[in-house]
Amino acid sequence: MPSDPGRLIAALARDQISLDLKTLDLCFLAGLYLRADRASLASFEEDVLIDLFEQVCDVVDPGVERPRKRATHAIQRLRDQRMLARVDGAGIVRSGEYTLTRLAAAVVNSFLDDEVLTRESLTLLTGQLRVQLAEILAAAKRADSADAWREHVVAPLRITVGDLVGGIERRQRGLDTQQEEVQAEIAKLLQADWFGAVERCQSLLDMTTNTLRELNEILLRDTHHFVTLLQEIQTLACDAEQTGSEETVQRVIEHVDRIAVWGGARQRAWSDYYQYVHRYLRDVVRLDPDRALSQRLRDQVASWPSVPFHLSVAAAPSIRLLRPLESRVEHPAVMRPRTDREGSPDPVDPEDTVLNIETLVQGALAAGAQSLAEVTEWVLPQFPADLRYVVIGRVAEVLAGITRTRSAIERPWRSVAPCLEIEDWELLMGDARR
Amino acid sequence: MTISSFQTLEAAISDEHFPEVDLALRRGRHIGRDDGAVYDYLVDVLDYLEPFYRRFGCELVQRADGYFYLLPSGDRLGRRQLTAGEMLVGQTLALMYLDPANLQHGGMVERETLLQRLSGLLGTETLVRTLNPRRRKFDERIAAETVRTKVAEALRRLTDLGFIDLIDDAMLRLRPALMRFAEPVRDLSDRQTALERLVQSGEISLGDANEQDENEGRDADGAEDDEEEADE
Repeated sequence: MPSDPGRLIAALARDQISLDLKTLDLCFLAGLYLRADRASLASFEEDVLIDLFEQVCDVVDPGVERPRKRATHAIQRLRDQRMLARVDGAGIVRSGEYTLTRLAAAVVNSFLDDEVLTRESLTLLTGQLRVQLAEILAAAKRADSADAWREHVVAPLRITVGDLVGGIERRQRGLDTQQEEVQAEIAKLLQADWFGAVERCQSLLDMTTNTLRELNEILLRDTHHFVTLLQEIQTLACDAEQTGSEETVQRVIEHVDRIAVWGGARQRAWSDYYQYVHRYLRDVVRLDPDRALSQRLRDQVASWPSVPFHLSVAAAPSIRLLRPLESRVEHPAVMRPRTDREGSPDPVDPEDTVLNIETLVQGALAAGAQSLAEVTEWVLPQFPADLRYVVIGRVAEVLAGITRTRSAIERPWRSVAPCLEIEDWELLMGDARR
Repeated sequence: MTISSFQTLEAAISDEHFPEVDLALRRGRHIGRDDGAVYDYLVDVLDYLEPFYRRFGCELVQRADGYFYLLPSGDRLGRRQLTAGEMLVGQTLALMYLDPANLQHGGMVERETLLQRLSGLLGTETLVRTLNPRRRKFDERIAAETVRTKVAEALRRLTDLGFIDLIDDAMLRLRPALMRFAEPVRDLSDRQTALERLVQSGEISLGDANEQDENEGRDADGAEDDEEEADE
């Protein structure tokens, strides 16, 4: 996979990658995933797939016609989208054997996965991570070759530590989802039961607050310890000039930092929400147990156009800073200094190079030059070296205008000056055009 | 007198927060718990600033919902009445503040939801006529555009006054000061009696006294000109 996001996006766009999963498809995938999980199946025979699809159809869409045909289409659709892969390689010889791809497992997981970060799971994960990092640090101290660094430091960092940190992050996302659900539930409880829901809402608020505080405390304490261990490994890698290992450690440090930042950010965000809801429960719900205020206010808004009233607010203008009074302001006229703008023109050399060339060419012809190369050789010394390249073209132009020339298909190259060669023309003497 | 960390009025107004708080209050801003340090400062110096502002002919009001504002009662300090647009938008936002459905996102609501709620509460025609009392005929498209313009203008002013926070073009956050719009129906007394009491205390004024409506929202003139043309 390309690491550059731009290239990755371009590749996805080029290949026109898309996913189109109906509810039935998702249910089918989830059924397969759970069956594989419970029965420890690595793959499914075609008949099992079709049977399972029929079972899913019975639940999702009981009245469906020709379920076997639909199963065939569904299997093909999922294979096209790289959700199912055929693994037997037998082609048309016998019916196939299929397995769920990593993509399908990830999709189903995102719906099934209810792993949420809890105090227990976080303590367990951070404990394992601490042990792993200590072992990697010991291995880094012993490592005496590039292979040793790769095998005992980089690989465990990428795989074991990466998985553990990824596990924490996945559970953080689970907790985020749970928080959203708590927020939605509080709103729903109040809508349904108003004053009767106050205690339940308050306990939901407190429970999430406590969970977040505990998690943040663990994260703050442990991530500091992880970063210390990782920095030690990084220093060893730097001393051993293992640039690759150093970069891998740096990436893990950034990952760990991200986990720590999550804790702080969620606690802050929850704190704002907590205060808002707490205030609402105290100032709105408790003071209006019958929820009559909303209705009275609704009536007030509806009747406001016929019985208008207006709130008063302070409106002191900004302090005015007056300019000093001037009875008459003299605006100076716009002027510029006088100068003699009719200066004498500067003398410059006349630009009569073309005229000179024509005269010189005629002089060369009169002197008996027989070819373009001879004429050019005659003319060039009259000009400075930097103009000669241009002059060669002009000479050919003038010569073509005043004489007739003959040239072979393969024109010979002749040297006319140091570093300058031209393709030669033979002149037809006595047949001048003018 | 509650315990304050300031010993004298001089110490209170020498604090670094005073100029900011003073200017905000004089411009009609409602300072709430969401404002953080300046709110805490006001709670701390309330005993000193109440008599201080009384000398300017205004009342420094603290509400149980957790906000302060300055209410002028004489002519010493400028005052104004909220316009029809501000009143309608403010009352609807107060209603939304009371709605538990908006708790899920910590009091954040979409501008579009506000317009839908306004239209649902008053009906489109009443809304258009209330916001454009001088117009007799309405082209639907232009009327809708004018309503959107007036609502946007009202939101901007309510933001300046500390009733809401504008998060971006689409979202806004409701603040407890919106409960001022619900004052006439806050207690169980007769609404007319409650209005009279609020008029007496200088909190509100009755009637269609808002001549400033005519001058407000000059940016809506373009739409109104179009409307004139449509009328002709």
